[in-house]
Amino acid sequence: MILLDVLDKDLVKVPLTASDKQGIITELVEVLAKAKGYSSQQFDDMLEAVLNRESLGSTGIGNGIAIPHAKTNVVKQVSMVVGISRFPVEFDSPDGQKSRIFFLVLAPSSAASAHVELLASIARTCTSNVFRRMLEGAKDKDEVIRLFQE
Amino acid sequence: MGVPFKDIVVYLDGSESSMTAAMYGIKLAVEHEAKLTAVYVVNTKALSELVKAGIFVAIERDEYQRDLQADADRYLRHVAKLAATKQLEIESVKLEGAIHVVMRQLLKERNSDLLVLGGITDIRSRREELSSETDRMMRTSPCPVLVVRDDDDIWLEFEA
Repeated sequence: MILLDVLDKDLVKVPLTASDKQGIITELVEVLAKAKGYSSQQFDDMLEAVLNRESLGSTGIGNGIAIPHAKTNVVKQVSMVVGISRFPVEFDSPDGQKSRIFFLVLAPSSAASAHVELLASIARTCTSNVFRRMLEGAKDKDEVIRLFQE
Repeated sequence: MGVPFKDIVVYLDGSESSMTAAMYGIKLAVEHEAKLTAVYVVNTKALSELVKAGIFVAIERDEYQRDLQADADRYLRHVAKLAATKQLEIESVKLEGAIHVVMRQLLKERNSDLLVLGGITDIRSRREELSSETDRMMRTSPCPVLVVRDDDDIWLEFEA
């Protein structure tokens, strides 16, 4: 599985409006819950799973990128939300840089292989400084989709 | 190495398309009276990359590695059961490493006649074009490759 397999315009938000780590994660989960019609209980379960994972160590990976992720059986297949913030948000990244590009990845426990492949695909996609700059500068979700498809 | 096929290998990754490929592999092996080997590769290279990139913490890597091992066992068992419905006994192989690298090595060592793969992704991005493991396996395989498209009929046949 690669990033383009799960990239969905309904699961892209530009700009994100939250200004702290928990707010960003909550906003990303909200995008998924709204797009997929999940109940408030399912929303809570997804959020709890992501925050539990975050408690093990930050998913801010440096270079302005964070990839909050978790296993949860609320989702039936691997799901990804992409969010771009206009302003850098503190995400406790190892390089000390604040983050503007966020990928929320949720997967059922039965999809370990696809989950791992997707995370690796995101990591590969974001290795280019130029690409990251372009993503940070994306004006709307259409531009985000276009950048990934180029 | 050649036709008729005597040593067929099917690659499994747990996806629906790889299961379709397994069903084709079973039918081909029966038709050609060939040996069929189902292979699942636990992608430990990807796990290592995720730790290196700071996406996984060590405890998480260990947990996912266990999940992937369990996935491998489950899918290999399932394909063996499917083969048994056609009175075919298969060999199941579980490997670890970078998928296209260990698959190429296995195919060379066995001098296999045919590799059967599930769907190849459409080329939707130059950036991602070469990163799909299935695509890379197809490009680097030392033997002929059969790419199986989605096919509801074969699922119906095996479910009957």
